[in-house]
Amino acid sequence: MPKCTIDGKQVEFEPGENLVEVAKRVGIEIPVFCYHPGLSVVAQCRMCAVDVEKMPKIQTACSTQAQEGMVVNTQTERVKKARESVMEFLLVNHPLDCPICDKSGECDLQDFSYEHGSAYQRSTEERRTYVDLDMGPVIKKNMNRCIHCTRCIRFGDEVAKIREMVAIHRGNDVEITTVDGRALETDYAGNYSDICPTGSLTLKDFRFHKRAWMLKKTATVCEGCSRGCNMEIQQDRNVIYRCIPRENKKINGHWMCDEGRFNYHYLQDPTRIKEPTQLENDSFDWEEGISFLQKGNDEKTLVLVGTDLTLEELKLIQDFTKETLKNSTLLHFGTPGVTTTQEDGDFDSILKRQSKTSNLHGAELLGIKPFDPKASSADRVIVFRGGRAVVPALKAKSKIGVGVFFESDLSGFTAILPGAGFAEKSGTIVNCDGIEQKLNRAVTPPRNAKLIPELLMLWKNQKQSEGAA
Amino acid sequence: MSLAAQTSGETLYIQHFGNEEARTLDYYLRQMKGYQALKKALAMKPDDIIEEVKKSNLRGRGGAGFPTGIKWGFIPKDSDKPKYLVCNADESEPGTFKDRDLMRYTPHLLIEGMVMSAFAFGSNAGYIYIRGEYVQEARLLQEAIDEAYDKGYLGKNILDSGFHFDLTVHRGAGAYICGEETGLLNSLEGKRGEPRVKPPFPAISGAFGCPTVVNNVETLCAVPFIVDRGGEWFSKLGKLEKSGGTRIFCVSGHVKKPGLYELPSGGVTLRELIYDYCGGILDDRKLKAVIPGGSSAPVLTADEIDVVLDIEPLMKIGSMLGSAGIMVVHDGYDLIHLIYRITKFYDHESCGQCTPCREGCKWMVNIFKRILNGQGRMEDLDLLVDLSDNINQKTLCALGDAAAGPVKSFVTKFRHEFEARIRG
Repeated sequence: MPKCTIDGKQVEFEPGENLVEVAKRVGIEIPVFCYHPGLSVVAQCRMCAVDVEKMPKIQTACSTQAQEGMVVNTQTERVKKARESVMEFLLVNHPLDCPICDKSGECDLQDFSYEHGSAYQRSTEERRTYVDLDMGPVIKKNMNRCIHCTRCIRFGDEVAKIREMVAIHRGNDVEITTVDGRALETDYAGNYSDICPTGSLTLKDFRFHKRAWMLKKTATVCEGCSRGCNMEIQQDRNVIYRCIPRENKKINGHWMCDEGRFNYHYLQDPTRIKEPTQLENDSFDWEEGISFLQKGNDEKTLVLVGTDLTLEELKLIQDFTKETLKNSTLLHFGTPGVTTTQEDGDFDSILKRQSKTSNLHGAELLGIKPFDPKASSADRVIVFRGGRAVVPALKAKSKIGVGVFFESDLSGFTAILPGAGFAEKSGTIVNCDGIEQKLNRAVTPPRNAKLIPELLMLWKNQKQSEGAA
Repeated sequence: MSLAAQTSGETLYIQHFGNEEARTLDYYLRQMKGYQALKKALAMKPDDIIEEVKKSNLRGRGGAGFPTGIKWGFIPKDSDKPKYLVCNADESEPGTFKDRDLMRYTPHLLIEGMVMSAFAFGSNAGYIYIRGEYVQEARLLQEAIDEAYDKGYLGKNILDSGFHFDLTVHRGAGAYICGEETGLLNSLEGKRGEPRVKPPFPAISGAFGCPTVVNNVETLCAVPFIVDRGGEWFSKLGKLEKSGGTRIFCVSGHVKKPGLYELPSGGVTLRELIYDYCGGILDDRKLKAVIPGGSSAPVLTADEIDVVLDIEPLMKIGSMLGSAGIMVVHDGYDLIHLIYRITKFYDHESCGQCTPCREGCKWMVNIFKRILNGQGRMEDLDLLVDLSDNINQKTLCALGDAAAGPVKSFVTKFRHEFEARIRG
C-alpha cells in the first residue's frame, strides 16, 4: 500500500482516501464541520485546513486525497491561524449561550472552539437572527445556531433520497430550511440531528430531557427490523433517553430510521406489565404463576416464540419444550405477512426491512417453523414475546403471555408473566444477511420481571420439588 | 455607441465597435474576412490548431490569465464522454465592459471562434452563458447564431467538413458568482450557482460531469485571428514574453475620456494609458488611486502607476490585471466610501457556502459602515487587515480573494485617511 507522512508519522492508505480519514488512523484528529464520512465532500467550512508540502496554499484535508510520498503537517502556524479564524468567523453570528443549548457537551462547534478557537471575541457587530419554522414532529430547528455546513442538505439528497432540506437566499443571508417551509417527510429524520455539528437541529424527543454528559452509553443493535442497525443506547439512572446509530459500514453505514430510533419508548410505557398479572386475581405472584405453567405440562400446548427473542432464548425454549412439554408444538410469530426469510425483503431502498422483528433469520436457523393460524390448534397457548412481535389472534382455553406485554393485552390472556425487553438483556440476533450481532444490556429490567433462563429454571425446578413431596 | 475608442497600432476588434452594421453577417463576410479562418481551421488537424494557439501565447482574458492552448490540452483525448465548450459571457466584474461590445458589435467573430475552438478539442456542443442583465446582447447573439445556422456555419456538417457544432445561448439570472467557472457550470445545469470543489477541474469533469473548456468572450474572439494569421504573428502583437495579442482595457472613473482601449499586451504603462490615451484626470485634479483589474484587484497609489499594464508586472507589485477593468479615482473622492461599496458588493454576491467569505465579508462591511458613521475605532484597521488575511486564499473559490485583496490594499496604502476619519 502507498504511504504518506502526517505530522512526521508514516501512514499507509488506500488510494482515493482523503487526509481526514488517513490522519484518523494514526490518532490525529483534523477538525471538520461540513465533512462527514457518509456524505459527499464539499469543502465548505474550511476548518480542516492542513499544510501539504510543495503546495503554496493551505489545503482542505477533506477534499485532498492522500498521495504516495505526500508530506502533510496539521500543526503549522498558518494552519493554526486558519482554524482559529474559521472558528472566529463561525462565532460572529453563532449565539454564545452554550449552557442553555441542548447540544452542549456533544457539540462539535463547542469542542473545536475550546481546542482551536480564541478565548477573545473581536466582533462587536449585531448577530444575525432568523425566524424559525416548524419542521414536523421529529426535529426542532434553531437556525440561529446553524453554521451552514449543509450536512443535512446532503443527507437528504444522498442518503434519505429526498431533497427536502435546501439552502435559500445567498451569501450572509443563506438560510437552511425545508422546501417551501414544509414539515420533514423522510422517516430517517432523526439522522439530521445526529449529523448536525451544532444545536441547530435537535430531536424534539430528546431535547432538554437530559444533559449529554450525564448519559451512559451502551453499544447494541436495533431490534426494529431484520436489518440490525448498530446503535447506542444512552441512559441515565436506568431511564433510556435516546438511541443513536453507530457506524457499521457493512450494515447501516452511519444511519438508522426513526422507527428504530424511537422504538425503545415502549419499554418505558407506563402501561407495561411489570408484575405477574391475572385478571380478577390480585394475589397472583411468581410462585402461583410458575405452578400455573407447570399444571399444564401434559396438556396439548402450542408454544409461540416471537422472532424478537435472542438466539439464546429461542434455543433454551426449544430445548425446554422438547424435554418438558411432551405434547407441544413450537412455532414462531413476528410480523404479519412476513413469516419466512424469503418473504423478508427490503422495505425501502435505504435500510428498513419487511420483517419488523430482529431475529426471524435466527429462528429459522434453529429450525423453528412459522405459526399458521389455519393449521394450529391447542388447548393451551404459551406466548413468549420480546416486545415487538405481533401476537396473532387465536382462541384457546388458556393463553399465557411471557415477556413484554401491556395493559391492553390483558383481556386476551389468562395470565401474563413479565420479562425483559431488548435493552434489558444481552444475547445474539441474526440479521437479514445472516450476520450475527450482540444485543447488550443497557438498563435493568423491571424489578419483578424475570429473564427467560430464570423463568425456565423455576418452571423446571419447582416441579421437581413437588414430585419429591 | 461605445465610448471613446481611440487607439494606436494594429487593433483587432475595436475599430468595429460603435458600428451598428458590424454585427451583420454581410459586414462580417465583407469587412472582416468572415468565416475564412473557419474554412482553414476545418482543413487543419485539430492538434495543429491547439499547437498554434499555444504558440500564440494567448492568455485567458476573463481574469486569471491562464494560457488558453494549455487549457485546451487538458481535455482528455480518450474520453468517451461528450465534450463541451462554454463561453463565459457573465461579464460582471465591476469596471469591466469589453465583452459586451464584442458580443453586440462582432457576434460572428465569437461564433466563428467558438466553432474552431470546439473543433480543436473535439466538442460538438457549446453554450454561451451570458449575464442576465445583457438582455439586448443575448438577443443580438441569438440573431447572429440563427444567421450562422442558416448559412451552415453552425449545426450539422459545417462547411461540408463533416464537423457538427451546436451553440446555445443561456442567460444567467443575475449572480456575480456565476462568472466563476464552476459556479457557472452549476447554474448552467440548473443548480444553485455555487462554485464546486476543485479538483476535479472542468477539463476532467465540467458541464454535466463531462470534459469542458470554459473560455472568456475576448479569448474566443482571438482564435480566428490566430488561425488566420498564425500563432507567431499573434504572439508578436504582445510586447512581453508569454503574453500575446492585444488587450481591451476598460477605463472608467475620473479620466477625461473613459471607454475601451485596445492596446498591445504589455505595450503601455498605466501612466501612459491614463494620461496619454485617456486625456488625464477629470478636471485636471490629482490622481489618488487606481484599481487596475476590476474591483477585485488590489488598489494602486498614484506612485505606482509606472507599472507596465500586463499580467506579470502587476502581479509583481501585488496587484493584478484581472479583466483589465481600470478604475481611476481622483483626490476629491472618498476612498472609504469606495472600499465600503466594493466590499458590500462582494458581500452581496458571496454565494454563502464557505465560512470565511460568508461571514467575513459581512463583518468587514459592518466595520466600514461603522467607520463611515463616525463610530470607527483605531483597532478596526488592524482587524480589517487581519480579516482580509484570514479570507484571502482560504476560500473555496476566488471570490474570497476578490473581497479580501481590495480591503487589505486600501487599508494599508491609505491608512492615514482611515485614521483621520476615525479621529473625526
